[in-house]
Amino acid sequence: MLRMRSCLPPLLFTLAYAVVSLGVTNSYYQLILTLVPVWAVFGLSWNLLSGYTGLISFGHAAFFGIGAYATALGQIYFDISPWLLIPVAAMLGGIAGLLIGFPTFRLQGHYFALAMLAYPLAILYVFEWLGFQEVTLPIKREAPIAYMQFADPHLYTLLGLALMLATIVLTQVIERSRFGMALLAIKQNEAAAEAAGINTLAWKLRAITLSGAIAAAIGGFYAQVLLVVTPASVFGMLVSAQALTVAMFGGVGTVWGPVIGSVILIPLAEILHAEAGARIPGIQGVIFGIAIVCVILLAPEGLFWKLRDLLRKRTASKAAVSDTPEAAAANVTALKPAARQRAATGEVVLEVKNLSRSFGGLKAVQDVSFRLHKNEILGIIGPNGAGKTTLFNLLNGFLKPSQGEVLIDGRNMSGQRPHVICEAGIGRTFQVMRPFLRMSILDNVVVGAYVRARTDDEARKMAADAVARVGLSAVADRVAGELSTKELRLMELARAIAGQPRILLLDETLAGLGHGEADEVVAVIQQLARDGMTIAIIEHTMQAMVRLVDRFLVLDHGAVITEGLPEVVTRDNRVIEAYLGKKWVGHAAN
Amino acid sequence: MTAKSKITISRRTLLAGASGTLIASRAGWAQQPSEVKVGLLVPISGLYARPGTVMREGAEMAIDHINAQGGVKALGGAKLKLVVLDSGDTTEKAKNAAQRMVAQETDLVAASGAYLSSFTLAVTEVTERANLPMLTLSYSDLITERGFKYVFQTAATAGSQARQALPQLIKLAETASSKRPKTVAILTDNTGASIASAKAMRDGLLAENQLQLIVDETFTPPLADATSLVQKIRSAKPDLLFFLPTVISDAKLLLEKMNEFGLGQGKVPTISFGIAIAEPDMLQTVSPELLQGVLTCVASWGAKGHEALIAELKTRYKEPWMTQNAISTYGDMWVIKDALEKAGKADRVAVGEALRTMDGGPSKYYPLGEIKFDEKGRRVGAGMTIVQWQAGIPVTVFPPELALAKPFWPKS
Repeated sequence: MLRMRSCLPPLLFTLAYAVVSLGVTNSYYQLILTLVPVWAVFGLSWNLLSGYTGLISFGHAAFFGIGAYATALGQIYFDISPWLLIPVAAMLGGIAGLLIGFPTFRLQGHYFALAMLAYPLAILYVFEWLGFQEVTLPIKREAPIAYMQFADPHLYTLLGLALMLATIVLTQVIERSRFGMALLAIKQNEAAAEAAGINTLAWKLRAITLSGAIAAAIGGFYAQVLLVVTPASVFGMLVSAQALTVAMFGGVGTVWGPVIGSVILIPLAEILHAEAGARIPGIQGVIFGIAIVCVILLAPEGLFWKLRDLLRKRTASKAAVSDTPEAAAANVTALKPAARQRAATGEVVLEVKNLSRSFGGLKAVQDVSFRLHKNEILGIIGPNGAGKTTLFNLLNGFLKPSQGEVLIDGRNMSGQRPHVICEAGIGRTFQVMRPFLRMSILDNVVVGAYVRARTDDEARKMAADAVARVGLSAVADRVAGELSTKELRLMELARAIAGQPRILLLDETLAGLGHGEADEVVAVIQQLARDGMTIAIIEHTMQAMVRLVDRFLVLDHGAVITEGLPEVVTRDNRVIEAYLGKKWVGHAAN
Repeated sequence: MTAKSKITISRRTLLAGASGTLIASRAGWAQQPSEVKVGLLVPISGLYARPGTVMREGAEMAIDHINAQGGVKALGGAKLKLVVLDSGDTTEKAKNAAQRMVAQETDLVAASGAYLSSFTLAVTEVTERANLPMLTLSYSDLITERGFKYVFQTAATAGSQARQALPQLIKLAETASSKRPKTVAILTDNTGASIASAKAMRDGLLAENQLQLIVDETFTPPLADATSLVQKIRSAKPDLLFFLPTVISDAKLLLEKMNEFGLGQGKVPTISFGIAIAEPDMLQTVSPELLQGVLTCVASWGAKGHEALIAELKTRYKEPWMTQNAISTYGDMWVIKDALEKAGKADRVAVGEALRTMDGGPSKYYPLGEIKFDEKGRRVGAGMTIVQWQAGIPVTVFPPELALAKPFWPKS
């Protein structure tokens, strides 16, 4: 049902476009109508990798060109039909994606973008060296249809449209599935995604493979339209830039972005070229450039998002009139502060043995050992720089320990990748919140559920359950960008528990909350503990902690100073000294 | 029923009358068109705007001359009108412009274009399907190897140019220095035209002319430093250096470095292919002394018999000399005019047929050969010119019947 509904707009759009194109008899306009879906599909392929994962590729021409050359050379040297060559080109593009992705994904951010830039430029020279400066497709006068050489230019447009529709639907399916969720999670915070149980490298490789395949297929079709392939026209900088331009203009990270960008920009560039360029040669480039700069300044994320935000604002202001403000506010389920058995003596679920980690000369964590018992709440405290977050990073696999062991249910898991540790049952939240601002609360939480869920439906169910447990069900459909800090903290908590971990590592979950708000969150955590969750929590706010935890572990300069029951630890002179300095030790004693 | 048939009859009569007038007026128009449109599809924006502009200048001059001399006589003195389209700076833009040309300028009878051979390849894919005759100065062999019927290549193809040039260069060297050159070096960039020329030399041409290749270097423009290339030349001491740059900065860098190493100003005779090294822009960055004596083999150049044209180009457009782009495009317009005279009607298919069958006698504006095209669309007997930098101007020195100055062989 959902799938059917999301397919409808692209289907209607494609039909409308086809009707318009069939009405156009001027072969020049028809060519422009053919190029729009070509660049839209290329933009979509770029979007699939860069739009969803946030890893900007400046080198998508590599795949495009491989597709174009495969299609052209296959016809010239082996006399194979492009109907067959375009799928072959897609396969080659996918392989190229895998080969390029594997080494390049070691890099991040600008480094990734720059490395990607190098591939098409390098391949360009290879093709020049091979002597393929100018390749023309042979005319097949006897069997034009079998070689995709249509006398009627409408057919090119229709074929381009079919490719576009297929790519849109594929992108939509991916967007709604765990694939899309994983990519979005990587975009927001790769580390957090790993911590949520997502094997980021595997998903990124899948994305670049698919993206490369689509780009190569459309590159092959482009060769068929252009009939001449030169290294500059398929591997050139301008080709890579075209993908970025249409996607960024229309909207990054949405299926409609590249389509909008292409529908507006490609004809605009041509009209400028034909009209303005005829009067003042070269002015078309200037106007085109200024237009893009203006749109990017006014709508930095692209037209689609700008329009959607405007629309949302309008509907939201209408809704505000009819709805009571109460309903819009988050309604945290009131929880009874029921007493809970302090369970510091249960079965050991996590054991840390002599864990150490140093950064150069700095010993961030040294020789830390402790045990976490089933269903206990352990508070980890210590002054700033005591090594608390580093300890968490060692526990969930962000960092590899220099020494020592982390035993989960008796199994040594130290040095494993974060998503593996997540699968073993450890969830965590972060000191700095990483919500996926444009997604609804439920969608934010679904990302965390995939580590356990086998199907998309199961993941939705588990996410809904997690949202209910933190008391956000009433606002589950709202976009994360509209939430208060408290709601965001609860949402992050929900994302961490959606994967049904047995152990939860909470890093300063109460930070930035007002007094009353902190109490609400504390209540939720207590309820989790009552439901059988084992929790380790880092926190600065002593007040809240003393009421919450069963035991304290106190760190200073990376080492354990003491551990024990709250009432004992808070009176410990070493703890007071570590927190407040030596001179307060005497005061505290009084 | 009766009413209906009445209406039909009256409508029919109306229609017949209307179409009758239409046909009559159209026939009259075909007999005496006041204007015949000719297309020029060249880059006038972007990276190649400069050569494209020069091509336009050549075309404009030709159109003015043709019209001043009474237009197309077979069409009652109809004037030619130039329609200029910008091919932009990419293959895709060139193809789009060609599609615009055939879709929107439906009354064009022929066109000229499109500078770069890759543009011409894409453009002619469109014009061929629209039966629009296309004259081109691009000289890639590929252009006329596709079995197209509406493409006419006025220049000798790249392969043919190299074949023609080598014996002449050797003859030139022998007469000037009374010594036959034996060893050569090739320094070429890896752009399409350069690669094609270098390949023709390596694949037999050098051997046919008893020349031994002792240095063979290919570089990717733009060069960052020419030192290592020049060092190879210096240690090998070839009798001739074939230097094939496309980018002016590369030419400058190498010539300066040669000079620095004491190889410049003719110590090692330097020969190029193509017009890059003889473009007016060269003088903006390289001093005339460094260029003195450098030879280049080009498809066409302002030569003997073109003195008036060269002077007009100079005064009207401030061009210091007449390159291949200006003279070839000038000639294209005259060929189209001749074809119109032969066809006797302003129709592209008829003009195409006229071009295929025409025999316009010896060529005036293209070097050597005739105004006649073979079955591939190549100009019969198309020659080429050798140009030499002399006192800050590249002048035609070969063939002798077109030479504006005597060649001098750099003394070694």
